[in-house]
Amino acid sequence: MCDDVIEQKIDITTSVMNKNDLFAAENRGFLKGKGIYTLNLISSPGAGKTTVLESMARYFGSRMAVIEGDIQTRRDAQRIEKAGCQAWQIETGGACHLDAHAVKHAMDNMELDSDKLELLAIENVGNLICPSGYDLGENLRIGLLSVPEGDDKILKYPSLFSTINVLVINKMDLLPHLDFDVDRAIDECRSLNPDVIVFTTSAKTGEGMEEFCGFLENQFSG
Amino acid sequence: MHELSLAHDMTRIIGNALGRKVHLDRVNITVGPLSGISPESLRFCFTEIAKIEGFGEPELVINQTRAKLICLDCDTEYEAKDFYQGCPDCGSISRKILSGREFTVDSVELEEGND
Repeated sequence: MCDDVIEQKIDITTSVMNKNDLFAAENRGFLKGKGIYTLNLISSPGAGKTTVLESMARYFGSRMAVIEGDIQTRRDAQRIEKAGCQAWQIETGGACHLDAHAVKHAMDNMELDSDKLELLAIENVGNLICPSGYDLGENLRIGLLSVPEGDDKILKYPSLFSTINVLVINKMDLLPHLDFDVDRAIDECRSLNPDVIVFTTSAKTGEGMEEFCGFLENQFSG
Repeated sequence: MHELSLAHDMTRIIGNALGRKVHLDRVNITVGPLSGISPESLRFCFTEIAKIEGFGEPELVINQTRAKLICLDCDTEYEAKDFYQGCPDCGSISRKILSGREFTVDSVELEEGND
């Protein structure tokens, strides 16, 4: 009986991220064609991504557009619109990260033809793990860590902090009240990621924001 | 948590490669230690998704590779099983990642009875 059962092994050898990476490459080409520089902003929930973007919205005005990623609600897009920028909300409905296809779909619904537009900021779903594996087509990946989270988080979430181009340590206004060692956080991030560029900010008070926005401006106008 | 969507992507890739849905005996994949994927969580998700998607109850065989790194302090090339393993020669954890983020569906094995 066993003799008439044939074992068939079929070679597939396909990267599981292949489809996402193809959409990411398409997004990158599309945005480059429009002269738009793109950021992927990743942090845990509550680290201040949206407050940083509100502050950026006041700096860049109509030169910036924002894609907001959340599990649910349009709250963040409404905050960005109020701060003066075009915003599109992706509600993932449960997914813990954005992928390049979701970003493409969002871009299809946005007005990206304005000559003024130079910067697209994508706020990922608040999560330090899952977004790290998904290229969205960005030019710059920014990891945000806030002071109340603790200075030990970088080595706990290496899959993110080893892939970022820029580390922003936010909520610096709270530093006097907490035991956050800024040098330790920076040293540990550089140990995973020697080329990372670091900014310290308080999006609430505005501390460090002009320097950060100026750096971004140099990336696309320099 | 994203292992659930990755398990969906795996069944999509398998379905596209086979051109049909068929009960599988075994699915062979490779997961790098720096891919951010939890092999056990992926196994749990894939078992459920494969069944729902019509691929039966295949055994998931995970080839867990080692990362290849190069020490930025002493240029030693070394292998590691996670992000935390430093240079075996000088102990530094300053390094460049050469590989370790891979995640591929390598092959599937199916059983077909001959009439």
